[in-house]
Amino acid sequence: MKSFLIPAAALVLCVTAASAWAAPGTVLRNDKLYSQPSASAKVAGSVTKGTSVNILAKQGGWLRVTSGKTTGWIRLLSVRAGAGGLGGTGLGDVVGAATTRSDPSRVVAVAGLRGLNDEDLKQAKFNADELERLEAMKVTATQARDHAGQSGLVAVKVPGLPEPKPAQTSSPWGNN
Amino acid sequence: MKIKLMVLAVSLLASSGGTAGIDFGKLLEERINQELNKDKPTQPAPAPAQQPVQAPGQAPAAAQSAAAPPPPVKQKIDARQLGFALFGDYSLEEETRIGKQISGNLLGAVPLVRDDKLHRYVNLVGNWVALQSGRKDVTWRFGVLDTEDINAFAAPGGYIFVTKGLYRRLNNEAELAGVLAHEIAHVTQKHHLKVLKQSSLIGALGQAASSKAKGSDQVVQNLIGNGAEIMARGLDKNAEFQADRVGIVYAARAGYTPWGLPDVLQDMAGLPAKDSRTSLLYKTHPHPADRLAALGEAVEGRLDAVRGKELADRFYRIR
Repeated sequence: MKSFLIPAAALVLCVTAASAWAAPGTVLRNDKLYSQPSASAKVAGSVTKGTSVNILAKQGGWLRVTSGKTTGWIRLLSVRAGAGGLGGTGLGDVVGAATTRSDPSRVVAVAGLRGLNDEDLKQAKFNADELERLEAMKVTATQARDHAGQSGLVAVKVPGLPEPKPAQTSSPWGNN
Repeated sequence: MKIKLMVLAVSLLASSGGTAGIDFGKLLEERINQELNKDKPTQPAPAPAQQPVQAPGQAPAAAQSAAAPPPPVKQKIDARQLGFALFGDYSLEEETRIGKQISGNLLGAVPLVRDDKLHRYVNLVGNWVALQSGRKDVTWRFGVLDTEDINAFAAPGGYIFVTKGLYRRLNNEAELAGVLAHEIAHVTQKHHLKVLKQSSLIGALGQAASSKAKGSDQVVQNLIGNGAEIMARGLDKNAEFQADRVGIVYAARAGYTPWGLPDVLQDMAGLPAKDSRTSLLYKTHPHPADRLAALGEAVEGRLDAVRGKELADRFYRIR
């Protein structure tokens, strides 16, 4: 029974992994495509920032993508999923402009149905009962360690990431 | 240094006299009194050495640029900012008091999901991640907010919230750990406390609408403005990028795959741009594409050797 299920499950996993990730994406930084999800694998090609790719699969920190005639593995953080292109700044402006204006429909809307907005938060009144509920559900460090250990989680040493090079100094006091 | 600044502040207070002093806000007054009492019985030190007085006609412009002149008395807000920033860090007690008030207000806008098992699970995962942050003085509390909005919040003193809308999009424990780690990083880096010290919110001291709600702390409310609006204002985008960088490392240190948070960002990047469930998120955070790009610059190949768990099997799913 078990020996029959495992290959079946593996097959289902492979199929879903391949089909679920036939999604558009955009390259965020110039990077290489590797033949395997590893930086020590053979380089299959390279892509430049802004290139459209098709995302085929995902594995850990890697995405399998197609760009033109080249298919290969690229670092997860070098691509964004979705159809928004490089997206970021331009899109942010549009969204920002759309949300900072007051929306007449929000007067009748309820937070749970439509999402939170500034006004919900600004008008909010202190709710001591909910805060008490939150307080009652906290756990101890010992409980958290036990829970982690149950699934074999072990603390590992990982060095911190470098700070980005300072682009400009921004002092809240401005220029004197 | 501290004393020097103190004296500067006190002299500023004195020089601005009744104009700025009256509406300074109770919290600030408390702090000033506290600081003054601490220094007694020592008399206030003599004022810091003044810049040599310029002889008339000698390049005054150069002297101005060298020394930071105190803001003109007319600009009340500047004087307040200076006065508030100079008392060093908030104590843990103050930090917790601020976080409690913000959280109580946030919970007034949207309550917790009625699911104790969910909350126990999120608290167990969250505390385990927080144990890797090195900040041991904080009591961490994690809550899931009952809204379809896709967002997460942190308040000083260890209060962390994820919305139900975001939680439902998560696929495994590593993704939850990644989201919580980003918020934990906001607390360990004291991002909101820095905003409180620097931002013009301080201009609202003493002006916040009075809340008569049970348990509400009016002194702190005066500091944070109306309700939980500090959560709608968001942080500097560099603070968000930093929380991503620091958070991804906390999650990896906890034994999870580092890719939990990036996977969540990828999922958000794939959502339609005008989804109303992400409007507040995008107002207060850089776009996920920008966050992925910034994270990519910092990570490069540095996490290639890190192996961690996803734990999809024991992830607590909600409808």
